[in-house]
Amino acid sequence: MVMEGIPLILKYTLPAEELYKPFWEGLKRGEVLGTKCKHCGTVYFPPQRDCPKCMVSDMEWFNVGKEGVLMTYSIVKQKPQGFEQYEDYTIGIVRTEKGVDLMCWVIGKPRVGAKVSLTSDGNRVLCGVRE
Amino acid sequence: MNRRVGIIGVGMSKFGKRQDVTVRELAWEAVKEAFEDAGLTQKDIQLTVIGSTAYRGTEIYPAPPVSEYCGLVGKSPIRVEAACATGSSAIFTAVNAVASGMVDIALVIGVDKMTEVDTATSLAIGGRGGNYYWEFHMYGTTFPTYYALYATRHMALYGTTEEDMALAAVKAHKYASYNEKAHFRNKITVEDVLKSRVVSWPIKLLDSSPISDGAAAAIIASEEKIRELKIDTPIWIRGMGYGSDTSYIAARGEWVGLKAARDAAYMAYKMSGYTPQDIEYATVHDCFTIAEIMAYEDLGFVEKGKGPSLLREGQTEKDGKVAVNLFGGLKAKGHPLGATGVAMAYEIVKQLREEAGPVQHSFKKYVALSHNVGGTGHYAYVFIYNR
Repeated sequence: MVMEGIPLILKYTLPAEELYKPFWEGLKRGEVLGTKCKHCGTVYFPPQRDCPKCMVSDMEWFNVGKEGVLMTYSIVKQKPQGFEQYEDYTIGIVRTEKGVDLMCWVIGKPRVGAKVSLTSDGNRVLCGVRE
Repeated sequence: MNRRVGIIGVGMSKFGKRQDVTVRELAWEAVKEAFEDAGLTQKDIQLTVIGSTAYRGTEIYPAPPVSEYCGLVGKSPIRVEAACATGSSAIFTAVNAVASGMVDIALVIGVDKMTEVDTATSLAIGGRGGNYYWEFHMYGTTFPTYYALYATRHMALYGTTEEDMALAAVKAHKYASYNEKAHFRNKITVEDVLKSRVVSWPIKLLDSSPISDGAAAAIIASEEKIRELKIDTPIWIRGMGYGSDTSYIAARGEWVGLKAARDAAYMAYKMSGYTPQDIEYATVHDCFTIAEIMAYEDLGFVEKGKGPSLLREGQTEKDGKVAVNLFGGLKAKGHPLGATGVAMAYEIVKQLREEAGPVQHSFKKYVALSHNVGGTGHYAYVFIYNR
């Protein structure tokens, strides 16, 4: 009843490390960095090179904070292509002490409102539940 | 809008895993029905707008083969995409073309053939339905994960339970059992939902809409054209609104409702002059059960956090205060992304014309609304209709 179509194999290259190098270098040190427009002070996370608000592309990197609160989370049981090799992982959203909201993997037993500390495995932001 | 616009013909294919057809025959099922419904043919159409996300099908540029198959070559210069709200973005585009006076009559086709790839591939495509670089690449998000982030916080803040969410699925399956075009026609229980496999906690398999193939079509015309054609029961589009939000879900600052949907609803209510209390029937975007609960709140049917009460009290059942998704919703009718928004219009037209058979809702004012969300609140469209 069905026949096989011709596969479409998509392989991608990204300007990952070069484009946001300080972010990746920060992750390797266990720090999470965003950008702030030197001209108008707008904070960007995910980091941006360009500030669309004031049209200026003059950014400084800043540390988004080390501590935060877990706002919400989900435990991924059915994994997508590229993540099949992982055990179940928990994706969370954390609000840092500096008011930056970001996505991370949650280590420990998650709870909405739990205090967390941001860390990294070098490839992504992690947060450890402190209580 | 510069001039009044109405819907004069609708069609919908059978939804489901349609391995018996390619995207072209699938689209034709809906287009043929819409032509027959309106009593028109291709020569009457000035513009065709095709909504299709297409990425899961072999025809990744489906508009030309679809328009050729349907005899519409020369009348289909545009394909639009807005993720899961693609169908509504196509209607929005066509309505604007008619309202502006650019054309008098336009055909909208929403179609997607999503089951040509396997589930893992489909999940990986859906997982990119936010921000590839800062979400999927680093964290392995799936599409259910994004809505699960909303569900978890809704549960924590308002005491919403997994049982509450299951009620939305039970309702969807109950009504889909009457719809011969629905993907699923089996009834389910709360316990079935709770026992189903966890996909991305707290979302389980039976909280989720299926991966479906399907098509829907609608013919849109100006008031002058409708009078000229002597259409008996046009369904008027009285209000239209759109909204959008950040791609990166963490940047939204709130995970219990969709700002895009609230903005779209506000705009549509304002244009129409109707309020949430006037709406007697709604199709809402229940891609996951939590999405139906948030829709009740975002549309103003109930205050934030109280969505589950409408389900518990049965107020969104047939002949309830505001009937919702009596054709089975995305959850059970199926969710072929490009078709969904157009299938919502199909359902509204059938209901307002009182052609909905066993699931016919009883109207007093004949006012209805459709709510279609793209991505996880990245886009939203709300339309308000009357008869």
